[in-house]
Amino acid sequence: MMNEEKKLQVKDLTISFRTINGKVQAVRDISFDLYKGETLAIVGESGSGKSVTSKAILGISAGNAIVENGEILYDGKDLLKITEEDFHAIRGDKIAMVFQDPLSSLNPIMRIGKQLTEAMLLKNKANRKESRKKLDESMKRIETDVKTVGMSGVSGDFDFRQLVKEQAKFELPYSNAHASAVAADKACEDLLLSIDKEVDIDFAGDCAELVEYAQNSVDRFVVKDAEAMKALCSRIKSESKTLAALRRKKNNKKADVTIDTTTLREITQEIKDLLDAALAQDTPRFFHYACHTMLEKQPLDDLPAAELNEITKDSADCDIMVKFKSQIEGILRYSSERSLEGMEKAIAQLDAASAAFAGDMPPEAEAKKLWTETSKAVEDAIDPYETVKDSAAYTFKVSLQNALSTYYDGIKRNASEEKRFARQTARYEAKVARGRTPNGKVAPLSLVDLDMAQDAIAHILSNMKQQFVERTEKVKGFDFKDRAEKYVAWMRDTAMAENHILTKSVAKDDAIRIMEQVGISEARKRYRQYPFEFSGGMRQRIVIAISLTANPDILICDEPTTALDVTIQAQILELINGLKKKRNLSVIFITHDLGVVANMADRIAVMYAGKIVEYGTAEDVFYSPAHPYTWALLASVPDLDSKGKTLEAIPGTPPNMIYPPVGDAFAARNKYAMDIDFEMQPPMFKISDTHYAATWLLHPDAPKVEMPEIVKDRIARMHRKAGEE
Amino acid sequence: MAEDREVVLKVENLSQYFKLGPGAVNKAVDHVSFDIKKGEVFGLVGESGCGKTTTGRSIIRLYDITGGNVWFKGKRIAAGTLDYKEAIKAAREELKTCTDPLRKDKLAEIIKVNTEEMAAAKRDHKNADRKLVNEIQMVFQDPIASLDPRMTVRDIIAEGLIIQGEKNKEVIDAKVHKMLETVGLVAEHASRYPHEFSGGQRQRIGVARAIVMEPSLIIADEPISALDVSIRAQVINLLNDLRKNMGITILFIAHDLSVVKYFSDRIGVMYFGKMVELADSEELFRHPFHPYTRSLLSAIPQPDPYYERNRKRISYNPVADHDYREEQPSFKEVLPGHFVLCNTEEYERYRREAGL
Repeated sequence: MMNEEKKLQVKDLTISFRTINGKVQAVRDISFDLYKGETLAIVGESGSGKSVTSKAILGISAGNAIVENGEILYDGKDLLKITEEDFHAIRGDKIAMVFQDPLSSLNPIMRIGKQLTEAMLLKNKANRKESRKKLDESMKRIETDVKTVGMSGVSGDFDFRQLVKEQAKFELPYSNAHASAVAADKACEDLLLSIDKEVDIDFAGDCAELVEYAQNSVDRFVVKDAEAMKALCSRIKSESKTLAALRRKKNNKKADVTIDTTTLREITQEIKDLLDAALAQDTPRFFHYACHTMLEKQPLDDLPAAELNEITKDSADCDIMVKFKSQIEGILRYSSERSLEGMEKAIAQLDAASAAFAGDMPPEAEAKKLWTETSKAVEDAIDPYETVKDSAAYTFKVSLQNALSTYYDGIKRNASEEKRFARQTARYEAKVARGRTPNGKVAPLSLVDLDMAQDAIAHILSNMKQQFVERTEKVKGFDFKDRAEKYVAWMRDTAMAENHILTKSVAKDDAIRIMEQVGISEARKRYRQYPFEFSGGMRQRIVIAISLTANPDILICDEPTTALDVTIQAQILELINGLKKKRNLSVIFITHDLGVVANMADRIAVMYAGKIVEYGTAEDVFYSPAHPYTWALLASVPDLDSKGKTLEAIPGTPPNMIYPPVGDAFAARNKYAMDIDFEMQPPMFKISDTHYAATWLLHPDAPKVEMPEIVKDRIARMHRKAGEE
Repeated sequence: MAEDREVVLKVENLSQYFKLGPGAVNKAVDHVSFDIKKGEVFGLVGESGCGKTTTGRSIIRLYDITGGNVWFKGKRIAAGTLDYKEAIKAAREELKTCTDPLRKDKLAEIIKVNTEEMAAAKRDHKNADRKLVNEIQMVFQDPIASLDPRMTVRDIIAEGLIIQGEKNKEVIDAKVHKMLETVGLVAEHASRYPHEFSGGQRQRIGVARAIVMEPSLIIADEPISALDVSIRAQVINLLNDLRKNMGITILFIAHDLSVVKYFSDRIGVMYFGKMVELADSEELFRHPFHPYTRSLLSAIPQPDPYYERNRKRISYNPVADHDYREEQPSFKEVLPGHFVLCNTEEYERYRREAGL
């Protein structure tokens, strides 16, 4: 399950807020990684810094927030250091967020439909542009590298772009029509059921919805017979109109009428049969078709998907493709050798820099020169064919520059600051000598701790070196065939994105489908309504739908289901889980509901007073919790079997973070607290490879403490249940 | 356990309709009946918009109810006219076409009786004993919005007493301090303002404001939904203590089923204004009969990753799950003390499923 690819890395993040009463330390030195396709749940009570962390990732911290330390690495960028302009490309598109409060995240004067499709259309345009740029770069690099290596190229008329374009030509209309067909089928089924059970039907509305879906399902690989579908649709339309008119008459008691739904039933059944037949067909393999077209140099025969699949089954492994892949393999091998060399050089350079910056610091000009050289060496070591940019090498230049400037600026500023301080102290003392008691004390305003700044530089260098050393080992063990496959797949995806043209009507269909997925009935009608016409739960669902339309890389959910009731909550969680699987989405899920966490999370980080106190897989945290705060959380929620026992409430309230406690922040509310908990912060103790907790109880010298009975009982019960099934 | 205890609150065919426009009516609560016995906790669950809160508010007379009766300690404290009106209307319709003189007399009799009862209901509703109604108090959902930010805690808690005519400051102060201690706060807190308290403490103030009137029934409308996890347990334990020590009866409205099960003796499940199932809490979880209850129970998230990964949600589709062509459903007792909204066919099926 665990994927090695790190999507997001948060390192030593510390955030404070400036307030009138002083500096509130909201997040204190937290680090975590988010892997591709996993859900990381952040659990904690309000004020523990969950939302602050997620907002920092998205670059939307409040105005009075100060990022004191740390890095957030995503796709080769440090999100804490990039400009607002660069953030526009990431926010919402790559990293999306579902907010807690649905009221404030919708525009009150825009129709829901517009709000849903607006981002889709804009993003689609931007995505196509970006994909084109990426693919151009990649193609150019391949071309030059092929020349440098001196490989024999693939035959001249092989055009990868053209190939994918051919594929896209079939696949895009198909996927849309197929989805419509599925929806139409469902609508038919519902309508038939309602007719059979003689429930009151909204004839005009239900049928209009069905017709829209059915008409969209016409495609050469879905419902092929457009004429038949059109005829059926117009028949059902007129029939439903007649029935609706009859219903009106009956309601007004103007005449004694009977509503006969037999004809309607027959037509619906016919449409359903047509759709069922269409959906029962084999799934077409579009890449094979495209290869086939390229080889044969003539358009595809007009045959059903099953036959085409048979005809084209060998075309994906044709000579040209194999050659192309082996060529890519060669280039990748060459490039990684070059990067390996670069890394060795960079390691030497990093060692030299470390030596230079240890002990007495060199003068600024020399340091600048060293910075240029080192960062160049590091940049040369980057393999340009990497599609996942999870290395610190990408941000090395900027972070080193920042650390250096902190140090050297500090030297300059400290002198004047010290002078000012000395002057003020002298004045203060003079006043005291004259027998007065001046208000307040004099303190230095912004003295930079030079030792700490120097440590930061050393840390950046050693961290980079360590990463390179690890990476060298990894590169030596590469399977280049596999990498070539992956690279070609990446190229295909990029080219697909380049060709993915979203029209307004397709965007509307997509939006309505997503609205239905999040459990909004009568989506087609709702699509044209304004936010005030929706209830709170509905609005929350719209907000979730909006963030899902953008098709992000990382989805941050900040208590998305807290305001919803269980059935809808279960639906939404299923939806997010389904999307996560389908799109290999990484999710950061913030919540305080432990039941929801158990449902969603692959890994869990428990936060308290701005620190991560326990960090591990869902099984680790639920079946063998180690931190007293986690125990307390588990003990304070009733589950379905805990009738009659008193719940163990956590006494007191979280600490005031203007004056963060010296020791463990939870000590004051913790009945297991020891003396040391009040004096010193516990470090992260490693329990297993995946499980960490920050509590002194795990120290080898600590007395052995058992978790509370109620938690123990519950874990035993969970094990029993798991064993039974 | 609550078999032979005195019935404190009896709700009969309670209906609360809201007019939406010409001819359009929102049946927020539609013929709901239940009773609550002394000292028990009655849980009311259902999805948002199903009428749980409206039921609570109708009982405490925040709305004038459309139909049905609410009996509290044997006295009628609220009554609506819907059912009488409908009976009269139906009788008049029939009278127009009726030819049988015997039947005609009968219909005239029906109209007369219903008109009289309607007048009685109106009278009772208007002249309901305020002192008695005061014995029902409410705890609201949002502890931030339900406390006036410009009143001190003492003023908030004492307001009800003052309205009731209590003038002696010493008595008021003594009562306020006693209540604060009962809910786990200290007397010094009386002079503070609500914003100086944490969420859990604010909800305690809300509870103190309710119990200072010495109620015999508290309607707790989602008292813990807006609170933090670590604080919820504090409030639940507080309500539990009140019930044990003061013998208060509680109508507990919530959508978190694990909490409702933990806290309630009996549970009523509502769906779109109708009560669909009512039973002992253990019994309800053991034998959920109505498909909506089943779907609701299958959606409860549990703090257990293994269970969660294997949990299958049952979805509820009112059209597919029921067949009401032949006979409309009514509230029937399937097992002793276990009521379900069903028709005869479903009733038989549920009985079979239960092994009867």
